[in-house]
Amino acid sequence: MINLTINGKAVQAPEGSTILEAARLADIYIPTLCYDEAVEVYGACGLCVVEAEGIPKLLRSCSAKVSEGMVVNTESERVVQSRKIAMELLMSAHDGDCVAPCQLNCPARTDCQGYVGLIANGEYDAALKLIKNKIPLPASIGRVCPHPCEKACRRQNVEEPINIAQLKAFAADMDLNSDSYVPEVKPATGKKVAVIGGGPAGLTSAYYLAQLGHSVTVYDMMDKMGGMLRYGIPQYRLPKEVLDKEIAIIEKTGVKLVNNVKLGKDFTVESLKADNDAVIVAVGAWKSSSMRTPGEELDGVYGGIDFLRGVIKGNPPEIGERVAVCGGGNTAMDACRTAVRLGAKEVYVVYRRTRNEMPADELEIREAEEEGVTYKFLTNPLSFNGEDGKVKSITLQIMELGEPDASGRRRPVPVEGKTEEIAVDSVILAIGQKLVQDDVKELKLNERGNIEADPDFFTTSIDGVFAIGDATNRGASIAIEAIGEADRCVKAVDAYLNDINVETRVPYISKRDESTIDYSDREKQSRINPKVLDPEVRNKNFDEVSLGFTEDEAKAEANRCLECGCREYYKCKLLKVAQRYDISPDRFKGEMPQKYSHDENAFIERNTSKCILCGLCVRSCREVMDIHAIGLMGRGFKTDVSPAFSLPLDETKCNNCGLCVQLCPTGSLTEKFKLDKQVPLDENYTEEFVEIDGKKSSVLVSRYNGKVLRVIPNDEISRNSKLTRDELFKLVK
Amino acid sequence: MRIVIGQGSCGIAAGAEKVRKALLNTNINKDDISITGCIGMCYLEPIVDIYDGDKLTRLVKVSENDAQAIADYVETGDFSKIESLTVSDEDSEFLTKQTRIALRNCGIINPEKIEEYIGADGYKALKKALSMTPEEVIDVVKTSGIGGRGGAGFPTWFKWNAARQSEGDEKYLICNADEGDPGAFMDRAVIESDPHNLIEGMLIGAYAIGAKHAVVYVRAEYPLAIKRLTNAIEQAKAEGIIGSNIFGSDFSCDFMIKAGAGAFVCGEETALIESLEGHRGMPRLKPPFPAQSGFWRKPSNINNVETFANIAWIINNGGEAFAAMGTEGSKGTKVFAVTGKVKRSGLVEIPMGKTLRDVIFDIGGGMKTDKEFKAVQMGGPSGGCIPASLIDTVIDYKALGATGAIMGSGGMVVMDESTCMVGMAKFFLDFTAKESCGKCIHCRIGTKRMLEMLDRITKGEGKEGDIELLEELCYSIKDGALCGLGQTAPNPVLTTIKYFRDEYEAHIKDNKCPAGECSDLIEYRIVEDKCKGCTLCARNCPVDAITGTVKNPHTINTDKCIKCGKCYSSCKFGAIVKE
Repeated sequence: MINLTINGKAVQAPEGSTILEAARLADIYIPTLCYDEAVEVYGACGLCVVEAEGIPKLLRSCSAKVSEGMVVNTESERVVQSRKIAMELLMSAHDGDCVAPCQLNCPARTDCQGYVGLIANGEYDAALKLIKNKIPLPASIGRVCPHPCEKACRRQNVEEPINIAQLKAFAADMDLNSDSYVPEVKPATGKKVAVIGGGPAGLTSAYYLAQLGHSVTVYDMMDKMGGMLRYGIPQYRLPKEVLDKEIAIIEKTGVKLVNNVKLGKDFTVESLKADNDAVIVAVGAWKSSSMRTPGEELDGVYGGIDFLRGVIKGNPPEIGERVAVCGGGNTAMDACRTAVRLGAKEVYVVYRRTRNEMPADELEIREAEEEGVTYKFLTNPLSFNGEDGKVKSITLQIMELGEPDASGRRRPVPVEGKTEEIAVDSVILAIGQKLVQDDVKELKLNERGNIEADPDFFTTSIDGVFAIGDATNRGASIAIEAIGEADRCVKAVDAYLNDINVETRVPYISKRDESTIDYSDREKQSRINPKVLDPEVRNKNFDEVSLGFTEDEAKAEANRCLECGCREYYKCKLLKVAQRYDISPDRFKGEMPQKYSHDENAFIERNTSKCILCGLCVRSCREVMDIHAIGLMGRGFKTDVSPAFSLPLDETKCNNCGLCVQLCPTGSLTEKFKLDKQVPLDENYTEEFVEIDGKKSSVLVSRYNGKVLRVIPNDEISRNSKLTRDELFKLVK
Repeated sequence: MRIVIGQGSCGIAAGAEKVRKALLNTNINKDDISITGCIGMCYLEPIVDIYDGDKLTRLVKVSENDAQAIADYVETGDFSKIESLTVSDEDSEFLTKQTRIALRNCGIINPEKIEEYIGADGYKALKKALSMTPEEVIDVVKTSGIGGRGGAGFPTWFKWNAARQSEGDEKYLICNADEGDPGAFMDRAVIESDPHNLIEGMLIGAYAIGAKHAVVYVRAEYPLAIKRLTNAIEQAKAEGIIGSNIFGSDFSCDFMIKAGAGAFVCGEETALIESLEGHRGMPRLKPPFPAQSGFWRKPSNINNVETFANIAWIINNGGEAFAAMGTEGSKGTKVFAVTGKVKRSGLVEIPMGKTLRDVIFDIGGGMKTDKEFKAVQMGGPSGGCIPASLIDTVIDYKALGATGAIMGSGGMVVMDESTCMVGMAKFFLDFTAKESCGKCIHCRIGTKRMLEMLDRITKGEGKEGDIELLEELCYSIKDGALCGLGQTAPNPVLTTIKYFRDEYEAHIKDNKCPAGECSDLIEYRIVEDKCKGCTLCARNCPVDAITGTVKNPHTINTDKCIKCGKCYSSCKFGAIVKE
């Protein structure tokens, strides 16, 4: 045995071992990308470099042998710098998306591509579980979310984005209508957390904290849980029965729900803190914003959310026959469509810009119009005019669009001297909502008048008190934003309860340059929207407008997904190494070595633009299988792995043993799942044994949600059996 | 009288074969006409040497039209018609100031005749070596202090000894004749001009390490070298010098030539071995070193052509005689291929310890034009550039290394002030990036990214921080690349940044190329006062960008101008300026 020191630790290794082998024996991690025991050492990636005392050069630990008394450092500054640059260079030439843009654009980082793909395969329960990893209220959110995911969806570059939100609602409805999925809950930790506010932020934090074994109680001032989802969104968009079912599932995880208790009246933040280990403040923003227009105080002028809440609670305010709704967002749409349903004859939407600038969802704008709403674009209220304290008309300033403002939208400017007056019975101001500051006077507020919460840790001015959602920092936003915050807050609270540090570093992921993506070979397929009630029918009642996807529609729509994110995301060695270092490959941004392309046969998909030329595929094909189906072509930057004589893989001697795919450290070679639509999935590999030619042989079986997805040879017998993957697959039970 | 025509590749390219054919058509006795290899004065080719007994008359820049005059001289002794062709005293000094060991027979003997080599004491050293023990041979080589002439200067005896000590009956001695540096042609000259010297050196090496097989890996772009070496091997076999029981001893050795397929990286010894075995030329990891596991995984020793070309001399004259030349750390002589803006270009062999000034100015005659000497690139794309201020640097592995350049295999590209140093670095990097085998990340992607940055800089698209980023990348590539190609690829960039940082900054900050070479950063303009309206520039302009009438100042349409510089070089009045 040879005695050496690695990172200050005394290590013993058999004579003739490499430093890498010695380090692995001692459980010391050294990154490698081109190394595998199955083939001869190669030395291409250079990530396994280490420094040894007395040796001026960096050593490639995969080949350098140990010697007596050697002192090795695997993480010295020079070593880290070398690896960092290597990874930056490698990633600068790695043309691929680790994660699909839809997921990246979702504030809650929901794996949209994953669940859309699973729906395409009919794996609805798996899809639901995937969604519920990030969203506890998917049936509700699927219905109401303005879906930032769809705004990033690349399918719109072909024709229209995937209907991701409706697919989510579809999977969630499937679950609600059968044995609903209730997640496993970890053993009780004995820690108590109080959550103030039962809206999307509060319920989400409660759901995930409960799963971690903490005892959670949600306190809410209203009759029922749901917050703005319940009291701010009309029934025709989100039937409250759906919300009730989803909240019931949250309750099944052990969360205690307490209604009709109000912060500042029934308890204080401090009083809850005294009884709990942590408190999360998620009180929301329940006050309608003012427009500071003369006449706002008149009778018949209502705040948007106040109006909606009144309707939902069954005591709608008097609105008369002529209603003007001020604002262009989704609350304005909810208000005007509700007003129509309440029987108003003339409903105007007063908006100072044009249709193109409206922040509301395009579908909402269209459906409202279908229901009879009249848009008054390029108008801005100058005054609300009253008689006997009651609003009678609005004077509108006519606007025009000027230069673009900071948001990039053209700024509306008044047309001098041009006004219009419309007669109204009521006005609804749907221009935003604010925190009721009195409720949270114990906490420090920021200059915007919202609770100041740390953007990473959600901590407030009181130790152990966290704050999330509409009440904090930048103020009111969309529900999915609050849900994303709640999910991250849970990690911070859990870390706080366990007195550990929470990782806030955003790890590197590879993203393709959008401008280089070519869609010309994609066949056009129109987006499928669920059927809706006829406008003449729906504008008279509060029945849900959308009828939801049928199974066939959902599958067909899900199949439109372009599969942007890499299928090997969950087991990509390249990404794992890249994420260890703080890399900025953009420093070396330049030409990509290969055109983004892929070819495939029945089992294997090749994407050379993701190849890092570690040579494992070529070498394993040659050294282990003796098949020589693939080789290296070209020189320098343009070096490429190519099937022999540049033939399609099926025309080479390739027998689909799949060893190359197994060894590929990234997504350049992928083995297809036993699924129709390919999806990136966090599979579970287990070693199992099968009989090959009368011999017991080890294989790795990948399962997801109980289903066998791939079977991979795992020893000499299975590797050399020359069985195809299909044949191997059949041997697994 | 004997007429000897210089027929190295350089001579043939200059027209030596035409001269020979013309001479054969004269009355000169055909048996008196023979050939030799390259004398090294490439700038004077074709060269014809006339031997009258021991008296040599050397004619230079001879054309086939001079054949009759030469024949007349041979017949009548009429010197008048060829007097103008005789080499000048100044040019003769190009040779007399050299000390020739590796090149001792080059340009003198006929490379296609073994008798001439034997007549010049050829194969005496092999005989002598075979009378010694292999260990004694290695000892002599050790005493000589010779280091590998491929560039790194690693002690030859050490490698021989390691291969000798390696266990195994089957061992290989390999000659690396994959000379690939742009501007380097020392090895080609040796093989073309004195192939037996190489064979003898290799046989001595094979004997010393205990190899029964000798292999020459020569680039396929050297057809004449391959032809002459093949011929020499056949002759040596016929003489019993290659084969079994050489000179009646127990020592047997066969010989093989392998033509490389044109990859620069195959000059790296492990890539060379991969290529020899029929694989793609990519370096192997070291360790194991070839001395332990080389060709066919057998102990192998690889030396450069020039190294072997010195061996016979060392054995004949003793290690001490070789070690008497040179400096403390660098013994013997070194051959350089001097090219570029220098007046006398060609092969120069001088003892170590001379200075760059000795080579470039004393032997090379200084600059070709009246422009100032700016820098010299040593060691090709793996080497570095040494500025004028360090012209007195001593030729010695350590001293050259201290400048950031390397001794290298002997390429010496001389540059004057019209050369842009960023462009120069880009040129060499373009070469290495293309020749990278693609195996390791640092070299494959790193050199490409450096090249992209340099390209941007020469186009005026450089940005603040580029120099620092280049430096960071350079050091990382040196540290992380797998083989010598990658590890040395940043040298041209690092040395030009070190010595000409202001030139980089001028490109980046001021969008100016001080040398006026980067076409994206220059503009041609006609100075009205100086222009005589001769129309010469306008007639020379390939894109009709120059307009003007006779005897009136002309103007250049800069939108049309492609910056070819033809107007600039054709103007007789200095009226066109490059800015």
